[in-house]
Amino acid sequence: MSLTIALAKGKLLAGTEALFGRAGLPFPNGDGRKLVIEAGDLRFLLVKDVDVPTYVEHGVADCGIVGRDVLLEAIPDVYEPLDLRFGHCRLSVARPVGADLNPRRATTLRVGTKYPRVSTGYFLGHGISADIVPLSGSVEIAPVLGLADCIVDVVETGRTLRENGLEVVEDVATSTARLIVNRASFHTRRESVGKLLAALEGALERPR
Amino acid sequence: MTLHRLAQVPRGVQCFVGDEARRRRSIERRIVEVFEGWDYEEIIPPLYDYAEVFSDPDLRPRTLSFVGREGDVLALRSDFTSLLAKIAAGRLSQRSAPMRLYYSGEVLRDEAPGAGRQSELHQMGLEHLGGDRCAADAEVVAIAAECMDGLDLADWVIAIGHIGVFTRLVESMEVDPESQEALRERVDAKDPAGVRELLDARGVSADLARAIGALMQQAGQRMQVLPALEQALAVCPPAQVALGELRELVSALEAAGLGERLLIDLAEVRGLGYYTGVVFRAYAPGLGYDIGRGGRYDSLLGRFGREMPAVGFMFGLDHLASLLDESDAAPAEAEAVRAHELGTALREARERRTQGTRVRMDDGANR
Repeated sequence: MSLTIALAKGKLLAGTEALFGRAGLPFPNGDGRKLVIEAGDLRFLLVKDVDVPTYVEHGVADCGIVGRDVLLEAIPDVYEPLDLRFGHCRLSVARPVGADLNPRRATTLRVGTKYPRVSTGYFLGHGISADIVPLSGSVEIAPVLGLADCIVDVVETGRTLRENGLEVVEDVATSTARLIVNRASFHTRRESVGKLLAALEGALERPR
Repeated sequence: MTLHRLAQVPRGVQCFVGDEARRRRSIERRIVEVFEGWDYEEIIPPLYDYAEVFSDPDLRPRTLSFVGREGDVLALRSDFTSLLAKIAAGRLSQRSAPMRLYYSGEVLRDEAPGAGRQSELHQMGLEHLGGDRCAADAEVVAIAAECMDGLDLADWVIAIGHIGVFTRLVESMEVDPESQEALRERVDAKDPAGVRELLDARGVSADLARAIGALMQQAGQRMQVLPALEQALAVCPPAQVALGELRELVSALEAAGLGERLLIDLAEVRGLGYYTGVVFRAYAPGLGYDIGRGGRYDSLLGRFGREMPAVGFMFGLDHLASLLDESDAAPAEAEAVRAHELGTALREARERRTQGTRVRMDDGANR
């Protein structure tokens, strides 16, 4: 079928490997530091999760596997034909346990987040002016250190939040892993894309 | 070394030199030949016009506007179709239909970065105004096909749909405009999970949900799926009527030998709001986004005071140029004209020019 698939390095990789296994699709064995790996008739790119939509939108990769949380932030111009039903998590607003959401009583809430676009939309939609503090990691410490009043971040089990003295106030969105497809590849490589879709759909439908 | 501040370029502007410039001119020339071969007439529209001309909801936020000396809000052209519709209703108001017009030039837009998006885009396209709808649709798709063949593009396809199918389905759901937009966005992403979430929350009937699902499910398939789609749309007869129009067009294109190039895509529902009927996009291997697109816009001319159905399409020259490597060969070396005395040299060069020779004045400075 000879397609190029962009995979997100990190937490979705294990779930992707399991799903590809069930679908009878080739998958790169996780050794070494190679970032472009051929397996069977597929070529895999291992990239940072937020870059997956970029590779697919530009057509460097025909398909990609990435969390819905990343898609909500990037709003890439791609197709999203399949919910892969793993990698469940929530995008949530969290604050220090027991604290007021707006402890400073300021008119503008300071929000630490890796998801500036999603956060802005969420708070504006609720009529709250928000001052977004863009961060790229360790978001949980922002309220502890007084950089932000609250955070918007991905929550899986909630353990990291608890360990940093935070609690969820409200969910902004839920997320699972998605298969995304480049708009041109979808049409020009229809057969290969169709086979990949069918294999993954089959694996999702079959009882484990 | 960093260039002088004034020699640096602002975001979004482009400048082409050498091979690249020659390649663009060569592509443009070949496409214009096809347009003129089908009896289309060139229109050179103005670079700016009243901002209101570009008031399509999708266009307005991307249009660069400014205030003229008399206080009018003006805008750099961000779309040719809107301008040509205005010209057909104004300057050409005495012309009888059908009118066949083409253009080649830049549009300027305020674009966020993204694949295939630039602030300065060279578009080459045509508009067929008035006349029989199906015949006009078939004609413009055939011309687009000839252009791509003429450029020796391999394995190109045209994904074709009809905006009326989705519009009629949504109308029959009786949901608020905001939900319609959300639905349009998710259907366009071909995201069945997202669509289901929206439809479930709004209590849309299972039949209608299945019909919307079929638009996404069958996208990218060959035309053999049309009967199955027609069945899936049984819940909404007006949507079937729209699909019927598409079927008529497709059978004409198949009879003309273009069937192998066509894919169905009724889930391609975003884009400029003025489209009312058949819509299509052209794709070729090697480029991650479409190289051209078009569709029917039967109510746009009415905005300018002359009700008339119309259809058109355009190619992005920038997209074609990035897909085609080869360009016309660089022109043959010019004959150097050198002499010790400038007047003599100039006379000799002028003489050779009358014979059509390519000359280069050689002042001896670069030897």
